[in-house]
Amino acid sequence: MTLVLEAAVLGILTGGVYALMASGLTLIFGVMRIINVGHGALVILGAYLSFVLWRNLSIDPFVSLVVTMPVMFVLGVILQVVFIRPLKTDREALSVLVTYSIALGIEGLLGYFFSSNYLQITAWYDTASFPIGDFRITYVYIYGFLLCLAILGAIFLMLYRTTFGGAIRATMLNRTAAQLVGIDVDRVSAIAFGIGMATAAAGGVVFGITNTFNPGSHYDLISRLLTIIVLGGLGSLRGAIIAALVMLVIEDITAVVISPVWASFVFFVILVAVLLVRPQGLFGLRVRERL
Amino acid sequence: MPCAAIPLFSMPTWGPDVGVLLELKGLVAGYGAGDILLGIDLAVDEESLTCIVGPNGAGKSTVLRVISGLLRPTRGSVRFRGESIAALSPRSILNRGIVHVPQERSLFPTMTVWENVRLGAYTVRDRGLVERRLAAVAETFPVVKERRHELAASLSGGQQKIVEFARAMMLDPLLLILDEPSMGLDPKTRTTVFNTIRTMNDAGHTVLLVEQNARSGLGIASHGVVMESGRIRLEGTGPDVLGNPEIGRLYLGAA
Repeated sequence: MTLVLEAAVLGILTGGVYALMASGLTLIFGVMRIINVGHGALVILGAYLSFVLWRNLSIDPFVSLVVTMPVMFVLGVILQVVFIRPLKTDREALSVLVTYSIALGIEGLLGYFFSSNYLQITAWYDTASFPIGDFRITYVYIYGFLLCLAILGAIFLMLYRTTFGGAIRATMLNRTAAQLVGIDVDRVSAIAFGIGMATAAAGGVVFGITNTFNPGSHYDLISRLLTIIVLGGLGSLRGAIIAALVMLVIEDITAVVISPVWASFVFFVILVAVLLVRPQGLFGLRVRERL
Repeated sequence: MPCAAIPLFSMPTWGPDVGVLLELKGLVAGYGAGDILLGIDLAVDEESLTCIVGPNGAGKSTVLRVISGLLRPTRGSVRFRGESIAALSPRSILNRGIVHVPQERSLFPTMTVWENVRLGAYTVRDRGLVERRLAAVAETFPVVKERRHELAASLSGGQQKIVEFARAMMLDPLLLILDEPSMGLDPKTRTTVFNTIRTMNDAGHTVLLVEQNARSGLGIASHGVVMESGRIRLEGTGPDVLGNPEIGRLYLGAA
């Protein structure tokens, strides 16, 4: 029983970072109706950026976000303007190819500069832990979880309490209607992509502290993130957060109760079962016909 | 109508020399595959209620999409108050006082009625003005006040259309373009919608209306236009077009 409880707690804590990374991905889908296959690679890029700041300048990985999040935001805006905006027709399909190219480009660059050796970001408080009942939790998981919670909270505040957030939600709900009330959907798209990249930077730090990574780590990451946003419903932030927690908790519990080999399998069984009943996912936007 | 009580622009009065507000000349436009509009010449007079009718696929909606900037014309000119607007973004065109209410439902379904109407003034930076317009619009369109906290998706089709009008009036538009507002509505609701359109027009807003339901549309129009296959076939006063036997046989489905 303790093992199950421990697995559930760990699942929730690691689920937080997946919730953050998946939120960025689903936000980008919601605003632009594109699948950003490069999202995993951008998370890994964020991890490398923080790794460099930590190794070369001894900057604490969490503090490094003050630098990496704005840098990744700007990079996201540039990527959107240069690579996504020019896609006028058939953007759903073309965007998969374009963003996959972005992923390969980033993987190649990281491989060139860092080789394919596995790295991990370590902080001095890395091994510190505290007991809960019969097991111990490493502080760094708590810090990562709280960071993700704070950023997700900021995103929700922005979306629901600011005029620009209202414009983002309007664009997600009905792009044509948003244009007709004067929302500059190109600008909203670029900024949404930037926000997605900033969350990738934050996700990258937490991922890089709690996992080893190399330039090829994005393949595994993007497949998990895509699964999460499909379960949650494409374009739904709430869905992405809940699906991320569900996925990680199920995987961790399956790993201790049955076997780690079956961890992902059990999750996929649940995913398929949910999609049979609700093809749009848990909180999916009804996909609108285009004009 | 309270919207007109807080005008942004002075309204000209009716007279023999009423100006042309919007002028299309030699307009050719279409989507990837080919041209849908094959040379449209149309003038919309200030304060008129112009109604375009015609069979499906005639290009009626395409005309509106070009005017509001959702579609760039291949050739031809679009002039609004004498200024060419054919190359402008939807937002710039909106800022010049043209508001487009599209054919399909265009409210943001999971936002409240109030949030939807407020977004109509997204481009207005003067907060005081937005609040005054909100109050005026809520007064004119009771459904906005009564259902303000409900999600737009929970309203009936007719109510949603009225809220779309209310949202459009947040900009106190010089030209209101409405694409088949009666589509999918029952006869009683349709009457309400047409009465609302007439009220907005009476308050001084020029209306360009596209209607599948030609009898209702031409019935309230001061100017009627019949389109077919990307061209204008006939023009005249609303009653004239409605009374033309040839038109009745071809487009209105009369026996």
